[in-house]
Amino acid sequence: MDASLGQALLVGLFVSFCLIGQLIGIYTNRAIFLAFGVGLILGDVQTGLLMGATAELAFMGFGVGAGGTVPPNPIGPGVVGTIMAIAMKDSGMDVATALSLSFPFAVMIQFVITFIYSLNAGSLSWATKAIQEGNYKSFKLTSNFTFIGFGVFGFLIGLVATMSIDVLRAFVNIIPEWLISGLSVAGGLLPAIGFAMILNVMIKKEYIPAILLGYVCISYLSMPVIGLAFAGAILAFNNFFNKGNGGSAIEQEEVIEDGI
Amino acid sequence: MESNQQPVLTKQDYFKTSLRSYVLQNGFNYGNYQGTGYANSIFPALKKIYKDDEEKLKEVTISNLEFYNTNPQLVPFITSMQLAMYDGGQSEDDTRAIKFALMGPLSGIGDSLSQFGLAPLFSTIAAGMALDGLIAGPIFFILCMFGITFGLRMLMGYLGYKLGTSVIDTLSEKMASISNIATTIGVTVISGLSVSFVKANLALEYVTKVEGKEQIVALQTVFDKIAPNLLPVLITSGVYVLIRKYKWSTYKLIALLIVAGILLSVLGILK
Repeated sequence: MDASLGQALLVGLFVSFCLIGQLIGIYTNRAIFLAFGVGLILGDVQTGLLMGATAELAFMGFGVGAGGTVPPNPIGPGVVGTIMAIAMKDSGMDVATALSLSFPFAVMIQFVITFIYSLNAGSLSWATKAIQEGNYKSFKLTSNFTFIGFGVFGFLIGLVATMSIDVLRAFVNIIPEWLISGLSVAGGLLPAIGFAMILNVMIKKEYIPAILLGYVCISYLSMPVIGLAFAGAILAFNNFFNKGNGGSAIEQEEVIEDGI
Repeated sequence: MESNQQPVLTKQDYFKTSLRSYVLQNGFNYGNYQGTGYANSIFPALKKIYKDDEEKLKEVTISNLEFYNTNPQLVPFITSMQLAMYDGGQSEDDTRAIKFALMGPLSGIGDSLSQFGLAPLFSTIAAGMALDGLIAGPIFFILCMFGITFGLRMLMGYLGYKLGTSVIDTLSEKMASISNIATTIGVTVISGLSVSFVKANLALEYVTKVEGKEQIVALQTVFDKIAPNLLPVLITSGVYVLIRKYKWSTYKLIALLIVAGILLSVLGILK
């Protein structure tokens, strides 16, 4: 499968819009939406949906930018990975392998975003000077600098990725079999980083029961996520109403299980 | 500009400023983070308050450029409250104190709610739909997330405007409780999800003799009987310790896990 220039331009515009959505907070820059759009434009919605769902679950822990940290970007699997999965479907590329292979791109995009954030790091003095001089247009420019940077970069990455299907195919073909299965094992380990990062931000001693509760609900009881959220709510309200009465003495028998 | 001035901002100004929370991060950078965007989001309202005094407008705008970093969904609460204080002629020190007092709690609550609560919840549901080949999955995700967070932004803007300056003290007490509840739910969900989404299966097997017959037993099945998902727990804990104790960066961790994954796969330990 090869893409036309028109398709490449469409993917570019779509990715540009989605990446900007990360700044304004409309949740378009998630693997599930990116992969769906790319699949739609390239004429293979089913692969797009499958890739999007798989990548969304793997990247969920990475959806976090707590304190301005930049996580690996879902454009990696959502755009580059989806293009690989669609273009190389006939030559036996499965969605899990496309996910692992797109990881370097997710990290690369993350570097570029860090670069854009750094580019505008002088914003404070730029804006101060602009306002002092009454040059409000210049103030607006630095206020929207990151927005513009994201728009341009998103367009370029969508366009280039779609146009270089042949390069991607050649890149995949030179990877040996053992490395591909290794990358797929690594793909299973990687979500640990995202989860550990979230926990690092949120955790205090008094939340240890919540951690154990989550582990027990999923590992032993295989609860659906909504049930898990309700279980968490029960614990939270129990703590709230029984403050100071030893309200968090739950699940103590499981302490050894979970080393966090 | 000290006191007893007629407020000039109307409800509509507060509504517009709440809508402008969408530009908060358009100038995000590693210097003052959301600072420039914050000043930009309240700038039209400030212009209205200080329309006869450009020097004051410049001074207040510049003071709002300083470092800021909070949750973009809940920020209308802060901007509304701050504007109400400016409009009521409150001192700039008090206004700044409120702005910074609210930054931490609101980003804690907001992040627990949107990033660790709503987003994982709807993305797992939507991913389930997409796995079944339903186009409705991704659309459902975007509509839910956008709808809920839009409502949240507007509600926050309204609450901030309503509360003005009066109930800050009782509020920050309540904030702590709300934050605790949200974080407890968040931690429970994250902990549960982490053990199910981190995948590590032992490929090791051993041979045992049952009544004279040789039988191959996968070590993983034995582990699953005693402590299911033990490996994901150990791996997540290990990564957590590396972040917490040894301050490892994401890049280092990704490199470690990719190398470890390939090595363990080649050695036939994990599959």
